[in-house]
Amino acid sequence: MGRASPLRLNWLLVVPLIIFFVIFFVIPVGLIFATSFNPQTIGQVSVTTDLTLDNYVRFFTRSSYLQAAGRSVMLAAIVSAVTLFVAYPMAFVIAKTEHPGRNTFLMILVLAAMQLDMVIRLYGMMVILGDNGLVNQMLIALGLTGPDDPVQFMYNFLGVVLGLVQFSLPFMILTLIGVIAGIDPSLEEAARSLGASRSRAFRRVILPASMPGILSGSLLVFALSISSYIVPALMGGFRVGVLPIHIFQQVAEGARFQFGATIAVILFLISAGAVAIYLHIGARRSGGLA
Amino acid sequence: MERKIPLPLLVLAVLGFAYMLLPILIVVLAGLTSGEFLTFPPEGLSLRWVIAFLQSEKYLSAFFFSFRLALMTMVVSTILGTAAALFLSRSRFVGRGAMRAFFLSPVVLPGVVVGFALYAFYISAGMGISRTIWGLWIGHILYSTPYVIGTVGAALATYDVSLEEAARSLGASPWRAFRKVTLPNIAQGIQAGSIFAFIVSFGQFEVSLFLSAPNSEPLPIAMYNSLRYKFDPSAAAAGIFAITLVTASVLLTNRLVNIRRLLDRQ
Repeated sequence: MGRASPLRLNWLLVVPLIIFFVIFFVIPVGLIFATSFNPQTIGQVSVTTDLTLDNYVRFFTRSSYLQAAGRSVMLAAIVSAVTLFVAYPMAFVIAKTEHPGRNTFLMILVLAAMQLDMVIRLYGMMVILGDNGLVNQMLIALGLTGPDDPVQFMYNFLGVVLGLVQFSLPFMILTLIGVIAGIDPSLEEAARSLGASRSRAFRRVILPASMPGILSGSLLVFALSISSYIVPALMGGFRVGVLPIHIFQQVAEGARFQFGATIAVILFLISAGAVAIYLHIGARRSGGLA
Repeated sequence: MERKIPLPLLVLAVLGFAYMLLPILIVVLAGLTSGEFLTFPPEGLSLRWVIAFLQSEKYLSAFFFSFRLALMTMVVSTILGTAAALFLSRSRFVGRGAMRAFFLSPVVLPGVVVGFALYAFYISAGMGISRTIWGLWIGHILYSTPYVIGTVGAALATYDVSLEEAARSLGASPWRAFRKVTLPNIAQGIQAGSIFAFIVSFGQFEVSLFLSAPNSEPLPIAMYNSLRYKFDPSAAAAGIFAITLVTASVLLTNRLVNIRRLLDRQ
């Protein structure tokens, strides 16, 4: 008697995507790696067999590039911490909203904000935070600052942080919701029945139990914000030199493909490192199925 | 009965939602203002900037360029992503976890680097598509397909494969059982995945940066180029159309799949 097995799905299904990814993802990124070991030749794109470490030496001996790398890492770390602080209460409220309609409504808001083009969201941020922006207009109207002395929320490090937090919030919220919703409510009840106050039960029970989500959400936000070009470009007005900005300047403005490729490799490795740790944590949490 | 959410957390959450949503609301107001730019308090409402957008060569053509590109991306991403999700859900191949991670990786890797890599690849391979819609198409497929794999994968995870086995034991051929039983059951997941693919492409900025040219400019790039120099309220009016499109897409997704369940696997 033949077993009534479901349709045997074979490799033919996945081969087209594998081929697509190899040709248009693995090979191009590999090409960038190879290019970074070629000597700097203005305007030259093709890879040669002439190998050198000059570009890396240049990167690691020029203080301006090392500072840009340090600034990028510090920026992404600060953004992860701030985003966590802002997102946690939001995720907590969504996870604890049991009314299905209200819960879905909040989820739709988060998803719509996440999917909306970042340039549009930054337009709104700039209207709010610019020198002539709504916040400064309000501060001037209230007499808290002079008309010629607006508070600088933008075109500096602070502006880039504010923009990146706006960008990262939905990703952090979505990562945290699952973990918070998965915490067994009886844990908190047990702590409360043993005499812990609400805030103590929150600090000692719920917060530690959210730790896996906190960790993976922070790594995700780190990887996303260190990679962003658009936020430092608009909110920093090119005054906050981070790695993505340097890549574009080297390649598009200076036609220095090899050195641009070197910065790209370094950014890629930092970001991939954060993603690898993120996946490792995720795999442990879901038993290797992530 | 005790409230489930402590008050301080509730207050912080409201402030957080304001931070997340206020910029979007402001774009809508800026596109509907009657003045030259948005002031506080607002001057008044008018449709002059919406009309300016509808008459502007620059934004309207960018809007339709993005729309076309997103449709093209959606078709390919849906086919490739659905097929791959089916393989990943049924194969017992040991490396499938790693393969899934590999296919999802573009979402979190720097778009500027991937865009630059594709740009360099097109030029050095002599493909002649470095600043055309075709070059952008390839880059967008890389960034949209992961969303299809995630959404269809979630639909397949909740689908009971024994339904298909039952159809088989009643005499249906393997292909017929798949087409008549499994496919209708995951159809809504596939539709939701294709909507995601569309909006991810429509809002894509980072990977487009190196691959755009003045005559092949998606909307985010066109808005960015004008925003660098001045606040153009007709860009905000273009934003209103994009906000409407994204909101409608998310609402539609919500009707197709359980949004809450979608996230269990992310």
